[in-house]
Amino acid sequence: MRENQETEIAQDSAVIDRNEDRRRFLAKFASATFAGLVAPAVTGEARALEVAQAVRVPDVPLYSGLDEEDVLGRMDRDLRRALQKPVDQRNWTMVIDLEKCVGCQGCTIACIQENKLPPGIVYRPVREEVKGTYPNVAKRFTPQPCMQCDDPPCARACKAKAIEKRPDGIVKIDYEKCEALKTCIPACPYQAIGFDAGGFWGDYVSGEPEAYEKLDSLEYGQARSRAAKGAPIDKARKCQFCLHRISSGLLPACVLSCMGRATFFGDQFDPDSLVAQLIRQPNVMRLKEEAGTNPLVYYLEGRMQS
Amino acid sequence: MTSISRRDVLKTGALGGAGVFAASAFGLPFRKVSAAEAEDLLKTQQKFVYTADVMCPAECGIAVNVVDGVASAVYGNPRVPYNAGTMCAKGCAGLQMVYSPTRIKYPMIRVGERGEGKFKRVSWDEAIAFIADKLTSIKKRHGAESVIMDSGDVTDRDTYWRLGFGFGTPHCTEHGAICDTPRRHGPKLMFGGKRVEPDVMRPVLVRQADGTLKNDFSYKTKLIIYTGWNPFTATRINYESRGTVGAKQAGAKIVVVDPAFTNTAAKADQWLPIRPGTDADLFAFMLRYILEHHSDSDPKRRYIDWSFKKSSVGWEEFEATFRQWWKKTDPVNGLNYFTSEWAVNRTGLEKVQIEDLAHLFGSTKPAALIWGMGSIGHQYNGYVASILGVALNVITGNFDTPGGAIDTELVKGSKGGKATGKWMRSRKVKRKVNGVVVEGKMDELHMDHYADWPAAWDDVVGDYPRRFLDGVTLTQGPFKGHKYPIKAYFLRTGNSVITGSATWKWKEALTAKEANGDYKLELMVYVDTPFLESGLYADVVLPEASYLERMSLADVYPSHQVLWLRDFVIEKQFESRTPFEIMQTLAKALGDRGDPDIKAEDFWGRYKSEEEFWTEALAGSPGRAHAGDPLPYPKLPKNYKLVGTPDSLEVGRVTIDHKKKVVKGEPVTVKWMREHHGVAVWPMSWHRYVNGGVLKTGTKKIEFKWDWKDGTKRRGRYAKYNKLLEESAVVPPGIKALGWDRYPATFFWFEGMWNPHTNKAYAKYRDAYPFQLINGRVHHAMTGTQGASWLNILSAEDLYRPLGEERTVNPVVVGAEGVQKLDRQVTIGAGKISIGVIQMNQVDGDKLGLETGDLVVLENPLGKTQKGRVSLCETIRPGVLRVGFGAGGRFAPGAGDLMHYEKTSVDANELVDPKALSPIMGQPAFVNMLVNVKRA
Repeated sequence: MRENQETEIAQDSAVIDRNEDRRRFLAKFASATFAGLVAPAVTGEARALEVAQAVRVPDVPLYSGLDEEDVLGRMDRDLRRALQKPVDQRNWTMVIDLEKCVGCQGCTIACIQENKLPPGIVYRPVREEVKGTYPNVAKRFTPQPCMQCDDPPCARACKAKAIEKRPDGIVKIDYEKCEALKTCIPACPYQAIGFDAGGFWGDYVSGEPEAYEKLDSLEYGQARSRAAKGAPIDKARKCQFCLHRISSGLLPACVLSCMGRATFFGDQFDPDSLVAQLIRQPNVMRLKEEAGTNPLVYYLEGRMQS
Repeated sequence: MTSISRRDVLKTGALGGAGVFAASAFGLPFRKVSAAEAEDLLKTQQKFVYTADVMCPAECGIAVNVVDGVASAVYGNPRVPYNAGTMCAKGCAGLQMVYSPTRIKYPMIRVGERGEGKFKRVSWDEAIAFIADKLTSIKKRHGAESVIMDSGDVTDRDTYWRLGFGFGTPHCTEHGAICDTPRRHGPKLMFGGKRVEPDVMRPVLVRQADGTLKNDFSYKTKLIIYTGWNPFTATRINYESRGTVGAKQAGAKIVVVDPAFTNTAAKADQWLPIRPGTDADLFAFMLRYILEHHSDSDPKRRYIDWSFKKSSVGWEEFEATFRQWWKKTDPVNGLNYFTSEWAVNRTGLEKVQIEDLAHLFGSTKPAALIWGMGSIGHQYNGYVASILGVALNVITGNFDTPGGAIDTELVKGSKGGKATGKWMRSRKVKRKVNGVVVEGKMDELHMDHYADWPAAWDDVVGDYPRRFLDGVTLTQGPFKGHKYPIKAYFLRTGNSVITGSATWKWKEALTAKEANGDYKLELMVYVDTPFLESGLYADVVLPEASYLERMSLADVYPSHQVLWLRDFVIEKQFESRTPFEIMQTLAKALGDRGDPDIKAEDFWGRYKSEEEFWTEALAGSPGRAHAGDPLPYPKLPKNYKLVGTPDSLEVGRVTIDHKKKVVKGEPVTVKWMREHHGVAVWPMSWHRYVNGGVLKTGTKKIEFKWDWKDGTKRRGRYAKYNKLLEESAVVPPGIKALGWDRYPATFFWFEGMWNPHTNKAYAKYRDAYPFQLINGRVHHAMTGTQGASWLNILSAEDLYRPLGEERTVNPVVVGAEGVQKLDRQVTIGAGKISIGVIQMNQVDGDKLGLETGDLVVLENPLGKTQKGRVSLCETIRPGVLRVGFGAGGRFAPGAGDLMHYEKTSVDANELVDPKALSPIMGQPAFVNMLVNVKRA
């Protein structure tokens, strides 16, 4: 067990931001392991506690031991397998089964909570279409995160070269480089990018950030304090598949929370992974194929009922 | 390290483990720290706690991450099969309730008039003394029965009931009374149960042929018919989201019968837009069709599975009475009852649709016929439908069959033990009635059960306004003739002003005064975390610890015995206290004032810690009959009551009492729960009613008759009420209005209120009030959690849309003086937040020359009006308007931004008829109303 974890960590180093200090680097490793811990034990190691504190990866060892048939357990194992490979040999992929999306918008809020999003930014809206006339009506819900395009128009549009396609497929906005030019925002064919204008949910009534807004945002594995008025304020922001979670061996927040169990996640380069199997199904589609962006978000087409 | 409690271990577990590994991997030096030092460190560390949600009564299992003492994120707990890691929008918005600026922060006492929202901050001691003095005085003057303990809209009620019963009042109630009693009626009457749900909770832990236990993820259901039940938007049962679409992908057909094209309908194979208030008509037709077309010899029409007769009594009587109606002519349409022509006329559906539905249900097995809260639960005659629904599921062989319909009340884990103090209801009390001293049980003083509502086993909260105004005269039982006023109303986490029948009637009752200027209701106490409308009418307001700050047990509706713990996650905010602490301090204060009934040994002398109380409450769990197939524990005797942890029962660390038929393993404790991810899961089985099993009827069979003589014994659930009526010779007004002199012995039928299509009495309103007004729950926009502003950016089903006008407002907080308007002004832009809107078919809108967003006035025949904005759409039956329950007309800070839209969004209950209380259990008929529409 421990050996596996070492492998997993050593090879995960590719996802670590080079600018991170050693402490954060260690911290991330720590989080990667405690996700997989089976038997927690009390220890009195001060350094370890300090390291873990710095991480603040908001999660728990939730999945270990779940059944093979459990789709969460399956994706959990897929994720761990992927993390044992070099970063450029993974291709993080999301598959959303439109027939199973119940339109609850739980993912929208799970994401706001996870990424500490301010008013005005939504990473994962659920679009709703209604067609037909009474009584022959149909409705479809389409959750729409960042598509993590293989050829991202936002990256091309960014004059500051702050948007990069990572080797694992995730399109990253580098907050250090973002100059708030906002050219990426209209360039995205999916309206997936928002601009962090610096507001807080607490502004309106309390006149200051609420307690949960003062905690660090952890995007890209970097602990950043919005309450201290630093980045990601004044930066372009978008879904990054919860990179901070997946590099810790955890599924993206929207995947875990999905009420319809309609969202799947994993590495499509791994032919045995669930997502690799799903995208081989005949009813698979992607949004705006004509734009040539080659997204990493796939949909299983739901039948429009009437 | 041994001194660190289990909770510390939970929070250190992950950290410590991680640290060990990280350290060893990189060869960092180790340094041992003392236990005390570790504890200090832990206080500043993040931790994870497994607990239970209370953003809604679904109470999903959750795992909360805590950073530096602040709850940082809420995740679903994958080990709780009820929600299996999932979390809805509302659950994810929990942090906004916990850290809301509109939370009640301090105990407060009213200084203005009721409704004004003016309070002064007081200490807990002052608040408790104020309440205890008042209660003591009321009890001396009028008796403890003059006090109502309403533990409100969430389910962990145990401590409040214990306090109420301990004090001596039989009136300890909760949200169920105004939730869906007609919907529950059939199951309770016939099974002793409550809520029938489809068998779609997955995974379920099942005993395998080889003796092992395995999580089963497979769906067996072939057909689900949801009638007025919308689990995707009005969620109460978490697993019905993933379960419904999961079952569908596994081949099940889904049919939704609802006037509105709900999100559930959007995923269904078929939507039947039924006319509101005619669900019973559809079910009655289905039963007639099945009886008339069943054939034992034709496999395509072998609808009835006669094996149900072995497990039931009274079918012959039920069927015979049902058939008697077939010959009668309906005065509304001149057709014979329950024929397809009649049902077409009533329901507004097509003949082919309803005949296909009846055939489909009869011929598809396993199937589940499910009826919902917003329809049958809120209709005046919902009882008829729920009884027919039970009958349909039972005779077709679908009851508790794999993939069929489960009565979740019967099979969920029992918890709480004696925590609510129910045993105290049988204490002997004396009252002077018409000059004569009478002795009876405390329970026999009950204002409903021994007066106007004998069969209202969940109490009648909707009738409280009348009680506040007119008091109580008992007409049944030993205290017949005893009169008493209602003088104190203790409301905890409820919002009766908005949800407990007509809002205007509640306001009138709470502010009514005696000739001397005193309020008729002498004391209203409001206990909650958010500050909702009802709190504005209180004399004392107490801040209750939020769900992340208290301990209790989730009370939910899984398909089998699963229990999970609500645990302390963060420190209590502001000056809030837990329900346990409130119980203890108030009990002690009453005891100190010489209360003759409250005993130290039941309260402050009994429990040293909160954990002790809840561990005691868990001791009887799961407390259900060991029944069904596959038998959960093959080595343990069948039909014995099971008590104890899953692991002790599994390995047989048990004692068996053959006399009492109880198998006792090691008791479930708070500690055990914490060591097992906060959840206990016992195995699932099916056919749990065979040979009695989990049934809770007198005969331990499914009862199709409800009052009969078995030798010298009187049997059936209505028998005891009829005995009361016979003794008193007084017929309760609810059933008298139906022309009955007793509760029926078997099948009965009566019509709804405010429905011109089914009830002749209302035909005269048809032209002047052409719209039927119904409501639908929007899960993320309900009365108690409306303050979470993340949810205001969402919309739902043409009920809740961002149609709010631009408003410049002074934000409101709850401070030391109650509701405080800030000096600061902020502008809410047009269309920036969702508000409750009026769902109207485009055709109706065109006729009235309206466009989406237009402000209209709805007026009902009682002369009550409400203003709101229309949302024109194709997703509702023409002639029907639908509004969100609790999603408009709000005026308290706990409603968040929505309170600034009080005058441009509809409070559905302002238009409810306060006299339209359903006749057997007094449920407000929330969905039975007519209105006309005029441009505002």
